[in-house]
Amino acid sequence: MLPDDAVDRISEGCKLIGDLCKKEGIAQWEVVAFQSYGHQLDIEAGKVSLAAGGGEGGYGIRVVEDGRFGYAYLVDATSATPAIQQALDVARASPAIKGFVLPSADEADPVNGLCDRRILDLGPEDLLEQADAVLSEVASLDQRAVVTGGGLGVGATASAILSSEGIESSGITTSHGLGVQVSIDADDELTSSYEGDSGRQLLAQVPPCIASAVHWAQVTRGPIEVNSEPQDTPVLMTSKGFSPLFSMVVPTALRGDRLVRNESFWSGKQGEVVLATDLSLIDDGRMEGGKSASSRDGEGVASRRQTLVEEGRLIGSMWSTRDAAQQVAEGRIDHAETTGCAVRGGHQSPPGTGCSDFTMVSKNGGHSQDALLEQMQDGYIVHSVMGAHTANPTSGDFSVTTSTILRVSEGEILGPVKQAGLSGNLAKALSSDVRLGDDVQVQGSYSSGSMHLPDVLMMQGLRINPA
Amino acid sequence: MSASPNDDRSFGTGRYLQQTKIQAALDHAQDLGASYAEVRLMAITDSTVAVRDGKLERAIPGQDIGVTMRILADGAWGVHSTTDILSLPGQVESTVKLAKAVAARRASKDRPVALAEVPIFDDEVHWRPKKDVRNTDLDTKLHHLMTLHDSAAEDDRIVSVTCGWHDEHLHTELMTSEGMNRTWSFQRSLINATVTGRDGGDVVSYRTRHGGEGGLEVIESCDLGELGRSAQIATLRLLKSERAPSGKLPLVADRDLTGVYIHEALGHPCEADLVAAGDSCLDGKLGQAIGNSIVTVVDDPTMRGGYGAHPIDDEGLDTREKCLIKNGVLTEYLNHRETAHHFGITPNAGARAQDGLHHPLVRMSNTLIQGGTHNDLDELIEDISYGVYACGSRGGQVDTGRGSFQFAAQEAWLIENGELTKPLKDVSVSGLTLQILKDVDGLTQDARLAAPGFCGKGQTVPVGDGGPIMRISEALVG
Repeated sequence: MLPDDAVDRISEGCKLIGDLCKKEGIAQWEVVAFQSYGHQLDIEAGKVSLAAGGGEGGYGIRVVEDGRFGYAYLVDATSATPAIQQALDVARASPAIKGFVLPSADEADPVNGLCDRRILDLGPEDLLEQADAVLSEVASLDQRAVVTGGGLGVGATASAILSSEGIESSGITTSHGLGVQVSIDADDELTSSYEGDSGRQLLAQVPPCIASAVHWAQVTRGPIEVNSEPQDTPVLMTSKGFSPLFSMVVPTALRGDRLVRNESFWSGKQGEVVLATDLSLIDDGRMEGGKSASSRDGEGVASRRQTLVEEGRLIGSMWSTRDAAQQVAEGRIDHAETTGCAVRGGHQSPPGTGCSDFTMVSKNGGHSQDALLEQMQDGYIVHSVMGAHTANPTSGDFSVTTSTILRVSEGEILGPVKQAGLSGNLAKALSSDVRLGDDVQVQGSYSSGSMHLPDVLMMQGLRINPA
Repeated sequence: MSASPNDDRSFGTGRYLQQTKIQAALDHAQDLGASYAEVRLMAITDSTVAVRDGKLERAIPGQDIGVTMRILADGAWGVHSTTDILSLPGQVESTVKLAKAVAARRASKDRPVALAEVPIFDDEVHWRPKKDVRNTDLDTKLHHLMTLHDSAAEDDRIVSVTCGWHDEHLHTELMTSEGMNRTWSFQRSLINATVTGRDGGDVVSYRTRHGGEGGLEVIESCDLGELGRSAQIATLRLLKSERAPSGKLPLVADRDLTGVYIHEALGHPCEADLVAAGDSCLDGKLGQAIGNSIVTVVDDPTMRGGYGAHPIDDEGLDTREKCLIKNGVLTEYLNHRETAHHFGITPNAGARAQDGLHHPLVRMSNTLIQGGTHNDLDELIEDISYGVYACGSRGGQVDTGRGSFQFAAQEAWLIENGELTKPLKDVSVSGLTLQILKDVDGLTQDARLAAPGFCGKGQTVPVGDGGPIMRISEALVG
């Protein structure tokens, strides 16, 4: 899938651009490069509808002079001179940030599990076989079930970074992902569920998300009548339902720049208890096999594992080099430095601040779903939500909708509810009585990074509004 | 990696694709058994600028280029996308093979993919802006951003204002095995602000946007001082707002929210690729009354100035207005050539791709409900004893198969006895498409596009949404 010389080619491109920066007499510069290749299949109406392959990539150039920075990106390294000039022009028009310099070279141990050689050897035929297996599995689980949408794909990315400060690093990561929208359209009722699995390592031929998609399309059929009055009630959110909301609100609130700029609901609360006292939040940039982990962050600083909230108490925050220098220079904080939390969206953007592989754990451990239902007694299970991206990361407030919701009474599932609103303030809900499940799943993110979260039972702070 | 255009700056004369080589590649695909092949290139020259608290945060000039080859062989698609334009002819054989491998797995019950016939053009179409945004220097962009910033920041309770600018010049070339050979270009420009307010422990944020198809004139047409002041006032109001009541209530939506509503609730289920996949609640409902007779909805990419406007769709068809609902009756799906053939209907140029590296999907453009008979907001709310007036959009989402949707408002007011009373925050609205279209019972006369937006469907494309102020007799408000 990936050409043998992919890393060499982009590393040479970085050197070429770096040499041009030196020739221009630029004090500090940094060049990043990404080149990705992959195969993917689209599935529609129970069949593979399209097979695609290809590659893309480019270079990003950051230049710094006297604390002023400029950035530009391009596709072709051999025509970098205009882009360098553009970045310089921007730098010279930008305000100086006192103390801002590009990070120095330091040691960074490799992180295991980010590249699976088996994925590199996969071709379109392998994906077609996997698609066959998935479609067969869905039909075998429920003859009424159809994969109405989704797809699967494998990819490999060669990346490199080179800077005037001696940072020079390159490597290959792989990915394998699969997602399916399973619908059951029978007896004048259509139910559906989208589920997916992805990771750096080769997935099972039929990953667990397949059975889960069929299960949720099945169990949400035949809605029961419930009291339509809005009610404040305990809610058990599955990992899949909880992660999008959590990722929209919580990691963002822990960015150092937002904390010191009063843009976080946890601003001014460093050292204080902000979550239930059994809960801890950890950003692990070195997680083995982590979807967002890497030996170095987006500006070449060695990645690290950092506890941000320890047993409920806010003890840390996430910083990149520039954000730290800027907030110190502007007097919002006396001291801040990079925590290895620079993230990039690719070659088209300069590094910002964000999380990598983010976890929430409880010192009380995890509970089975049966145990959580027993503790909840009366309430709801919510498995997915619509509108998580509309949650307010500044306040933690959210108001979303769900069509995969089950009514629970006396610890037993009574049946599905057709549709309901779910609202509350996530920061407040997580600061009261919270119990975690024992099955951590990996989900994507609306901000940066990947979420590693179990089912979460929130006993207070949430409102259900049945349709 | 890439070829260079003959003339990057002018509208009309620059070409990236080497036509002789691409034509040979298309011919080669047909020699290998392809029934159709196309090569579509998109080159984007863009600029992103951000100002935070009155200081330049970042300015990023960029150039992107991507090309996608789509080959139909034995009734199935094979696709190859790359930033390495010159490598494309070397991928013809593997892409034909890919398509045939997909076709070989097709079950006997499944129909092979075929394309509806379309007129063939060999031309260039360029929507020239009044002021080419590529000629706008950084100082000018900063001037506009600072105008917006300064007007939004004028209060001690405003703790942060972040303003953003994005402009792009989009140049597309399409060559097909049918002889289509079109080049088109246009521009988009956008400015936005996110305002954060704090009062004690309460933190709120409000965002505002202005933009559309066109160059610098799009930004210059906006009173940015007023836009900023409105955002500041709304932010301060949110600090004093109460949480919205929950339950089934009469809802009045401003044109921003009306636009998002119609985009999510109706537009997506109208996309023919979702209908064909069995993932739309509107499957089989063409010609049926699905809404109140006052509801007429159009999707119109030819509406110049709208953020979703474009002259030609990504299969090379001239764009045109589509009437999705006429007086409550579902009249048309949005389609592309494949789904037009599937349903035996006329292609209506609904194919859009995010960029040169993505294949076209059925997408919306500028979607709006047409105006009704009510004069103004006062007339719409005068007989509501208890309800909610919701304004501005924080986005929405839809489950097209189940036909359920959600959208969130930036702010709202409680309606009591025909009057707007308390300001509210954190209002979201949800419902079922097939129910709520029937519950639209009032529309003001003045329909127009609202703030620009973005639509995600695996790929992200800019869209315009809007309409008049709309009343829904009962909606689930949270």
